[in-house]
Amino acid sequence: MRKLHLSISTISLILFTAIPALASRPDSVPDWVRTAAQQKIPQYPPDTNAVVLFEDTIYSVAPDGSATEHFRSVVKILRPQGRDEGRIAVPFDKDTKILSLHVWSIGPDGHEYAVKDSEQVEFGYPGQGSLFMDLKVRAAEAPGRDPGGVVAYEYEQRTHPYLTEKTWFFQSDIPRLNQSFTLELPPGFIHGTVWAHSRELPAIDLEHQRWRWEMKDVSPIDLDQVELRPSESSLEGRMTVHYAGPTIQSPTEGTWQSVGQWYQALAKDRVVATPEIAAKAKELAGDKTDFYDKTEAIAEFVQKQVRYFVIEMGIGGHQPHYAADIFHNRYGDCKDKATLLVSMLSTVGVHGALVLVDHRRGVIDPEAPSIIGDHMISAIEIPKGYNSPKLRSVVTAKSGRRYLIFDPTWDKTAFGQLAHNLQGGYGVLVEDSDSQIIQFPLLSPDLNTIRRTATFQLQSDGSLKGTVTEKRFGDLSEGRRDLYTSSDAKEQTKFLDRLLGQDFTTFTVSDFKVQNAEALNKDLTTSYSLTADHFGKPMGPLLMVRPRVLGSEALYADRKERHNVPINLSETMQEQDDYTIELPSGYAVDEIPDPVKLDLGFASYESSSVVKDHTLYYTRTYTVREVTLPADRYPDVQKLSGVIAADEQSKAVLKKQ
Amino acid sequence: MNHTSRRTLCLTLLSALALLAAPFARAQWTVPTPEELSMTSQPEVPGAAAVYLFREETTEDKFHMFSTYVRLKVLTERGKEYANVELSYAHSSEGGSTDIDDIQGRTIHSDGTIIPFTGKPYEKLVEKTQGVRFMAKVFTLPDVEVGSIIEYRYKLRLGDNWFRAPQWYIQTALYTRKAHYSWRPTSKQLISSEDGGLTNTISWTKILPTGTDLKETQLPARSFEDGQYIFDLNVHDIPPAPEEDYMPPISSFTYRVLFYYSPYRTGDEYWKNEGKRWAKSRDKFIGPGPIVTAAVHDLILPADSQDQKLRKIYAAVMKLENTNYTREHSSTEEKSQGLKEVHTTDDIWTRKRGNNDQLTALFVAMARAAGMKAYLGVITSRDRSVFFRAFLSMSQLDDDVAIVNVDGKDQFFDPGSRYCPYQHLEWKHSQTTGLRQMDSGSGPVETPGETYLYSKTTRIADLTMDEHGEVSGSLKMSYTGSPALHWRQRALTGDDESLKRELRTNVERLMPAGADIKVTSIEKLEDYEQPLVVNLSFKGNLGSATGKRMLIPADIFEVNAKPAFPHEKREIPVYFPYSRINQDAVRIKFPPSFKVESLPTADQMGFQKFALYTLRSESTPNSFTIRRDYVLGEIYFKTEEYAGLRSFYSKFENKDQETVVLTTAPAPAKPTPAGN
Repeated sequence: MRKLHLSISTISLILFTAIPALASRPDSVPDWVRTAAQQKIPQYPPDTNAVVLFEDTIYSVAPDGSATEHFRSVVKILRPQGRDEGRIAVPFDKDTKILSLHVWSIGPDGHEYAVKDSEQVEFGYPGQGSLFMDLKVRAAEAPGRDPGGVVAYEYEQRTHPYLTEKTWFFQSDIPRLNQSFTLELPPGFIHGTVWAHSRELPAIDLEHQRWRWEMKDVSPIDLDQVELRPSESSLEGRMTVHYAGPTIQSPTEGTWQSVGQWYQALAKDRVVATPEIAAKAKELAGDKTDFYDKTEAIAEFVQKQVRYFVIEMGIGGHQPHYAADIFHNRYGDCKDKATLLVSMLSTVGVHGALVLVDHRRGVIDPEAPSIIGDHMISAIEIPKGYNSPKLRSVVTAKSGRRYLIFDPTWDKTAFGQLAHNLQGGYGVLVEDSDSQIIQFPLLSPDLNTIRRTATFQLQSDGSLKGTVTEKRFGDLSEGRRDLYTSSDAKEQTKFLDRLLGQDFTTFTVSDFKVQNAEALNKDLTTSYSLTADHFGKPMGPLLMVRPRVLGSEALYADRKERHNVPINLSETMQEQDDYTIELPSGYAVDEIPDPVKLDLGFASYESSSVVKDHTLYYTRTYTVREVTLPADRYPDVQKLSGVIAADEQSKAVLKKQ
Repeated sequence: MNHTSRRTLCLTLLSALALLAAPFARAQWTVPTPEELSMTSQPEVPGAAAVYLFREETTEDKFHMFSTYVRLKVLTERGKEYANVELSYAHSSEGGSTDIDDIQGRTIHSDGTIIPFTGKPYEKLVEKTQGVRFMAKVFTLPDVEVGSIIEYRYKLRLGDNWFRAPQWYIQTALYTRKAHYSWRPTSKQLISSEDGGLTNTISWTKILPTGTDLKETQLPARSFEDGQYIFDLNVHDIPPAPEEDYMPPISSFTYRVLFYYSPYRTGDEYWKNEGKRWAKSRDKFIGPGPIVTAAVHDLILPADSQDQKLRKIYAAVMKLENTNYTREHSSTEEKSQGLKEVHTTDDIWTRKRGNNDQLTALFVAMARAAGMKAYLGVITSRDRSVFFRAFLSMSQLDDDVAIVNVDGKDQFFDPGSRYCPYQHLEWKHSQTTGLRQMDSGSGPVETPGETYLYSKTTRIADLTMDEHGEVSGSLKMSYTGSPALHWRQRALTGDDESLKRELRTNVERLMPAGADIKVTSIEKLEDYEQPLVVNLSFKGNLGSATGKRMLIPADIFEVNAKPAFPHEKREIPVYFPYSRINQDAVRIKFPPSFKVESLPTADQMGFQKFALYTLRSESTPNSFTIRRDYVLGEIYFKTEEYAGLRSFYSKFENKDQETVVLTTAPAPAKPTPAGN
């Protein structure tokens, strides 16, 4: 360190002030909070973090169609992990102004607190480098948020002016004792309800265009310790109220057609192509005449050349940007990418449509039309009579029109396929009056594969030497393709070291090669030479060898409790291993593992070890055919898990001659 | 010259230069070379997502301005992420606001096509509280492809009366081909907004590659003003910051130059004066005041020895709520409970709660009230960083420990780490350095380390196998020292249910899959001077079966262990948090239908004198027992020792994977499901 002298003057160094100190307030809590807090609660399991004592939503629609929401909540914290319930956060953006927010609490010792407005803070939505949203949250931390404490809050907020539906989420990860939803409509307005993951409850008519729904003792959906679990949102009950009136232009009336038409109105001028877009589409299509070839070129351009970057403000959470802007900037979010794709295709005579989806299978309920969803993809209409084995994710609409479903945001899904999390789920095809709910197909296991082949020589000291080739296709290749296209050499080496560390303690790898990392419609192929010391374990005159040399497909289903939660197997797939191990001279095979064959319908597992000409041949095939199973199949899933685990660890015993 | 006239002059000059500078600055893009346009990789970092072709940071105190200029080559898909830029700034009603302006950018494709950034940056709220708004300007560059060069610049401006010394972080996550840093500091004397002190010195701490040096020049004096000082630094070929497993906490030691305005001329002067100031301010908090003094009076007996007194005090502090593991209480909450703001340790004792540092200060206060010489130490936590004396900043000292003279000898205590045993330190506070209070001011301190015997984990399995190979019985895990402290502190963050779940999950991860494991009891959870004991039940299968044999992992607690050091090469030293001893004992009784065919042979191996491994086995006609000991006596291994260390680990990890072979009589049903 060195020093330098300065001459005299007067200025200050910068210092950001800290968050202001909080001041006391002698207020007491409102009566409705105290009343809720005084009620007796049932005996809950010991891992229950908190309980909603009371929750009340009043949704009031004005004659011009705008709406405000008045919300009250009282929650009792039952254990330390429930303290987070005392952190209140109300999201808002430029269209959904919070008109008021009040937070109260009662400590476990009975002290009552009221949080001042000045103690509330606002946070922006975390950007994570690829996101700009004007969504913010107003937040406060309630005093006394300890086990036994009660936290309450109340807010009034404007809702998005372009929405004509409101969803009441009445189930969550904690139990709910008393809750209600009240709808207030102006004269001349009508409404309807749809219910997802729940039986329908009748409304109480409060007269004068007011209706109320009440619920008591709603059990939680807590999947924290559940293995192979679906998304919580695919199980939680909700009710969507649709309303319409003379001042509302394009309401979502509780039908999928109206939901599609509502979105069509938002997006129709956004898909309009410019000459520049048309020129690029024509350039990409070139002289290709085949439908697949032409659309693939354009789809891959949008998939790979348009960077994912989200800019959402107000209605921008739903409405895409103009195709011209997306094309010029070469960036956008999911709805932007789908919009540009539809726009580009339109210039080469191919019809495309937007499809509203949720990336979590099961969240969109075909029986409950609403705009619930968090993602957008595209549907590309397939010409009549055109068929190709390359078109895999195909849906036929009620109109008889066939569509190839493609997600241009998922940059490692091959054109023609669909990411596994969407398969088997539903989406809203936005096709004006033909708008409808569609179900996406489950793709065949042989479109999502791992195939390993290897040839080894085992030495008498237990060391193993050989070559390995692994081919991956479909979603199972996604992570590796990302690794080999985006990570540096050091990260790739570390990954391989860690991967092989699962099966070997001491090893070296050489001649590592990767092929087709960018070519999504070809097998991603990796190959390398491997030397592993101490692979065979000498035990006196015996040498123990694991025929399943490398690669694990363990299915984690250890937990005994399931509580009637459906099983999520995630993806259809097929994994095949084919290993040849030349055995060392001086040893004879004393025992090999018995063959395994198990077919449970939703999945099958088969393996065999065979010795021929002093060589051990191991093969196995593991196939998953379904993605969602009812909870009562869990014993079968555990059985499968046990079979795989046992087979993967089974040993051949060689004996010294 | 007084303050006002100087400020006016400064403002005028700023405006004039800004007008001149603007059109000139807009012209300053760099023409890419053919090599830059066509490059597809950087040989030193194969496969890198992107490289900085050039980075420039210039600071002009006269204009209260930091200028940044970036030229970056995108080499892979992931490299496109660098086109998304988020620049932080803040508005404060109490002064010290910053702003970002003059954002310009462009994208250059590998064919030389230029796409200017014509958009407007988005203003994003990060956090808004009373009087302060933390904001960010967000933009993304257009039409970025793999192969593109991204170029952008912006200015960060301070208020007219504000200065901030630059901090040049030279080593980033990306390789840097060239970078230039420059600072033209003010010649004015400054007042620190932190403490109001006058500063008349510029100090700096530098960590630079060999052969690179900070250039310091002074322009000739003009009129009545000293000549302008200029700091310049040119660097090239800076590798990315290292990242390895078992890495020492050296993130604070990447290449950098950190400047600061300072009233001190030397490092010794800095630490002496700042240490003294720290010691004094802490003494003010510690006291002891009348409440603490009275509490101590009630707690100890006059006849108690110093050690007895201190043990009683330590135990009393350990009973208090440590809010680092529960939650801080807001002043609203405390005021409504009739509590005043925290000013002294009396306030902490009254509350019966405090954070780590407050409880440490309370312990010191109580020791003083008991008539003992007690001091506070402030150290750099070893889980985060290493104390760097040349870096003149108290901010690197983050945790407090207590030092008490017991029977003429200074002893270290860690009452702020709840459940840390008496006269021990939490591992992150051991073997580290910092400052301590002394009878007159402050001085340096080095905290002691612990031997491997302090942190001990014992895992015992007492199991019985039935005729079908299914095993059931009990597991007993005993923890002392660091692992015990870990689990006890985990307990503080949750409840009995969550602790049991975590303990069970921890054991499940060690053991063969599919077993039914339950925590049956936890002993001595709050008795921090005793080993923490966790008893569990086990039921399930171990190992695998063949037609006539049962193969059981030698040490069932290591069955899922993976190589600690799978990578052959290593660039930086290996670092473990603490030394330790682990002892396993596994006994499995089996029915007469089984016989031991083979057991792992006894083995012992070591690495230098710092690590030792032994495995022993024995059998009876109806049982076998495996004992495994592992001792790690050192926490730091130099890079040149890596090969030897790795070899030692590989050898014992292989030994751990050996199996016990039992032969079976022509057998009952197989334990392995065979399906249909």
